[in-house]
Amino acid sequence: MALCNVYKLSSYLTRKSIDLVGSTRAIVTSSSCLSYKLVNPKQDVPSLRNIVDTNANAVFGTELLRGLGMVVAKTFSEPATINYPFEKGPLSPRFRGEHALRRYPSGEERCIACKLCEAICPAQAITIEAEEREDGSRRTTRYDIDMTKCIFCGLCQEACPVDAIVEGPNFEYSTETHEELLYNKEKLLENGDRWETEIAANIEADYLYR
Amino acid sequence: MTGVVKFLHRQFVVPFSEMMKTFQHNYAQDGGYFPRIRGVLTQIARFQEIKYGDHVGTDELGNKFYENNRFFVGRNRWVDYNQETWADKWDYNASQITPEWHRWLHYMTDDPPTKVPPKQRPFLIKHKRNMTGTNDCYVPYSTTRPKIESWKPPN
Repeated sequence: MALCNVYKLSSYLTRKSIDLVGSTRAIVTSSSCLSYKLVNPKQDVPSLRNIVDTNANAVFGTELLRGLGMVVAKTFSEPATINYPFEKGPLSPRFRGEHALRRYPSGEERCIACKLCEAICPAQAITIEAEEREDGSRRTTRYDIDMTKCIFCGLCQEACPVDAIVEGPNFEYSTETHEELLYNKEKLLENGDRWETEIAANIEADYLYR
Repeated sequence: MTGVVKFLHRQFVVPFSEMMKTFQHNYAQDGGYFPRIRGVLTQIARFQEIKYGDHVGTDELGNKFYENNRFFVGRNRWVDYNQETWADKWDYNASQITPEWHRWLHYMTDDPPTKVPPKQRPFLIKHKRNMTGTNDCYVPYSTTRPKIESWKPPN
């Protein structure tokens, strides 16, 4: 304890001498000394009263009591975290989650197999094969997305001229196996049929920016 | 004087009434003294906390949605998952919220589907939770004809 107080005294004297140099500014041309600011709490003058106070605080362990007070206060205050499966955080209408293939209100699928999404996909996660359907329209026979390759950049939905491929708001599609994430066309169309109300509402909410 | 009364009211009356509302909100609906305690205990076991709010609506899968704006954003809307059967009560899943309510629960809109009904389409299908790990899980398959056919010996 005595050593500690000797250290305190010496640092106090050093601080005093620095202050002295800073206040004169006779020889130093730069204003570096003056522009420094003390961010630590100022140390008290090591008078007998202050030294006794410090030592008494150390002996009776008041930090422990103050820490305990903080623990009790935080225990009874409102938590800053959310209770996830029951409460959920805010999401943007533009959130890019699980993919879906949409349909026109008549029920006809939108995708015309132009392959723009396949071309723009930076991760090359999309595979498309196209054929002519019985009625002569051009449709995909294969629309596969490898969700483990996808980087969720959203370029596919920006490239799509008919709003067919979209990234929906769902992010709770984690799976136990790898193969369940290799989506084919049927799975993507099913996602679209399931999430269409929300996808359509989100696109409508964003109409000013499209 | 009124300041003192207000202070005492805020310190002693409001917390007590909040506690009573929370307990009344959470007790089991079948009446009696023990079911009240049981309802609160069930709520703590499922939810890890008890809170009360206005019942905004119920979706087609039986999940109930609540709102109480005393809590901050992120905690002021919550869902009580369907608990009709014992299995449902303890085996809830975050993915079983239907898309209409998903939008409200994630704060994309302030209008619940009870106030602004979503557009109905003929091709919409019923929502299903994430089926991974069960026998009904998705298994990928090819949607095209095979490109090559295997050779069949002539005889």
